[in-house]
Amino acid sequence: MFAYIVRRVLATIPVMAIVALFVFSLLYIAPGDPAAVIAGDQATPQDVERIRESLGLDRPFLVRFGEWLFRILQGDMGVSIFTNLPVTTMIQQRIEPTLSLMVLTLCLAVSIAVPMGVVAAWKQGTWIDRAVMGFAVLGFSVPVFVVGYVLAYVFALELDWLPVQGYTAFSNGFFPWLENLILPAIALGGVYIALIARITRATMLEVLQQDYIRTARAKGAGQRSILFLHALKNAAVPIVTVIGIGVALLIGGAVVTESVFAIPGLGRLTVDAILRRDYPVIQGVILLFSFVYVLVNLAIDLLYTLFDPRIRY
Amino acid sequence: MQRRTLFGLAAATALPAPAFAQGSAARTLRVVPQANLTSLDPVWTTAVVTRNHAFLIYDQLCAQDAKGEIRPQMVEGWTTEADGLTWNFTLRQGLRFHDGEKVLAKDCVASIKRWARRDPFMQVLQPSVAEVEALDDRRFRFRLHKPVPLLTMALGQTQFPCFIMPERIASTDAFQQVREAVGSGPFRFLADEWNPGQRALWAKFDGYVPRQEPVDGLAGGRAPRLDRVEWTIIPDSATAANAMVTGEQDYWEYPLHDLLPLLRRNRELVVQQRLLDGTYGICRFNHLHPPFNNPGIRRAVAMAVDQRDYMRAVAGNERDGWEACEGVFTCGTALATEAGSDILKVRNIDRARAVLKDVGYAGEKVVLVAPGDYPQINALSMVTADLLTRLGMNLELVAADWGTLVQRRVSKEPVERGGWSIIHTTSSGQSLALPVFHLFLRANGSNAWFGWPEDAEIERLRQAWIEAPDAAGQKQVGDALNRRAMEVLPYIPLGFYWQPSAWRRNVTGVFRAPATVFWNLAKG
Repeated sequence: MFAYIVRRVLATIPVMAIVALFVFSLLYIAPGDPAAVIAGDQATPQDVERIRESLGLDRPFLVRFGEWLFRILQGDMGVSIFTNLPVTTMIQQRIEPTLSLMVLTLCLAVSIAVPMGVVAAWKQGTWIDRAVMGFAVLGFSVPVFVVGYVLAYVFALELDWLPVQGYTAFSNGFFPWLENLILPAIALGGVYIALIARITRATMLEVLQQDYIRTARAKGAGQRSILFLHALKNAAVPIVTVIGIGVALLIGGAVVTESVFAIPGLGRLTVDAILRRDYPVIQGVILLFSFVYVLVNLAIDLLYTLFDPRIRY
Repeated sequence: MQRRTLFGLAAATALPAPAFAQGSAARTLRVVPQANLTSLDPVWTTAVVTRNHAFLIYDQLCAQDAKGEIRPQMVEGWTTEADGLTWNFTLRQGLRFHDGEKVLAKDCVASIKRWARRDPFMQVLQPSVAEVEALDDRRFRFRLHKPVPLLTMALGQTQFPCFIMPERIASTDAFQQVREAVGSGPFRFLADEWNPGQRALWAKFDGYVPRQEPVDGLAGGRAPRLDRVEWTIIPDSATAANAMVTGEQDYWEYPLHDLLPLLRRNRELVVQQRLLDGTYGICRFNHLHPPFNNPGIRRAVAMAVDQRDYMRAVAGNERDGWEACEGVFTCGTALATEAGSDILKVRNIDRARAVLKDVGYAGEKVVLVAPGDYPQINALSMVTADLLTRLGMNLELVAADWGTLVQRRVSKEPVERGGWSIIHTTSSGQSLALPVFHLFLRANGSNAWFGWPEDAEIERLRQAWIEAPDAAGQKQVGDALNRRAMEVLPYIPLGFYWQPSAWRRNVTGVFRAPATVFWNLAKG
């Protein structure tokens, strides 16, 4: 197992290298010029060119890529073209809100969606099943920003229970942290809950048809024990896979959610950087996202062995 | 149940002490700025949000009052001698930078030199300037080759202000960003608490010595009456509106026009015009390539333009939210004129379509680039797109973001090779008030603003205005410039809209000025 983990971790290196090349190339060929954004309307073309030179944007692709790669290998992601701050500092400033939002959403989604899916499978064909599936369709169909606006209107504007926007660091207390994040987490979690609930239901239905479930019933096992000890554990592999895939969904959704609720996270940092063509920031954040995604997949692979001892690497 | 009740019990045990004491919080103005503050150097970038930050931390030698007159600010005053070939400036006593150092004449000289390399206005005057030099700690002078009556206007302008930095910072190349934000203005920038994209903070500078005169535009006493100014970046307008309604924010610089009725309905909010100038719409042609290298075609399009359609698209139907302004100079200013602007009063699609045919439009492709992430400019673009379609032109509407547009507009290639035919932008009224810094009126070919119009007569008139001996002479040249511009059409003026701000009723001391500034404001 240890050898496997080491192998997988080492395998992330070529993956990250390909991602780095891809990201750098994509930005190179994408339209947009930070020098023109910086220079503004008053600048002459000569001014824009001077700024391009001072930023080193006039140098050949391979030279810039080589320098950037060399710095990355030393752990230096560069400096933002606009703010003059190190990209690592900007990421550090933004990582907590995004991480908080994703973790809370994940906890919320899993704790709601898995029981929902199990109950729907257990009560297949009843109104409970239909209600769960109806909710799932709704969760898939309604965009995150619409849910966000509705939640903000009801709970912040009308009831005045929660703030409309912003983020309070966890170090300032659990409740202020939760106060700011609960609405965004619910808004972002809708799609995720729908996805996990549907997969849980489908997998559970399949598992509940298995011989060993019938045997368990015949031996007098209780319904709760059958559902959660025998069936759910055997249905866990596809559910965990979907949860892992959903992390990418969360990263995408976080961009919208962070904008609607003015949460200063990595999603907004990415969008702002893209709009301004702040290349070092875009490259840094995308590399980070890719790395996180690779790690999540590794964690999921390892979890398989816990849920299904037959899986060995 | 109220939020505070809901969380009250938990807060009693779980919450640490609030970040600020009650009194301090009451003296913090929470602001939603018009954009994200990404750069701190007002010479390096022309972004308005950076200029607003600069007004908080830097001071100016002289500044514009509410009538547009230039008055002393950091300087006690100035004198001229030797037939206007020498200007002497003397700094006020007691001026200090935020790092504790005295403001000296050498700091002013270094700041002027750096700023002059980037400011288009000063670049026009620069050939007449022989030297800027410090005489002693408090006095510096300009030595000129020939008289420059507009010198203080350049130094005190609001469009690209000359902010004073310590010499060690101002000696940075004008095309490199400075690494420290140290000024001598009424507020200090809290760099350690700056999180670009989330918030930026300033604290009152206790060492600031304001002028004794009452505040008047950007002139007069810049007294800081708040302990802190805190900008929170809220990219979504609906969220910003909600934050204003619930009292989470105190001041919103640029509310979207669609949301003004919502804000006005709230009794706790004041929605008023604070900026002294409107924002002007600009439709710019690419003069290098067909079809708009043909002045007849430009004139045909202008005949179809109705500024009211454009302004309604941007600012809605509220009649006091916008105005038509059918000339190239800012309405309400000394040079404002409609002399020769008859073409903008035609406003007739059928006549324009007939003229278009007569002047030889042969179906050439027109590429209009519209920035979807810039609501006002996008609205202007959509109106032009509709108009060109109705004129029967072969339109390709390219939806892009602002970052793409500002790069594409640099291209001088034909549309088949990634060029463009029409773009739109907006400009503050200040920038269009005088020929000397009227960017869209330059017609010096490849050195002109994107679109590169070329017309020797416009350039000649512009120079004639600079050399005009008096206001009457300037006005006469201004009229001639407007007439010529309406023949050549380097761009089509699209009217202007007012951009109100919103603030909570307990914010006091709000005054009108050419820029958004926060001195004199207090929170009751």
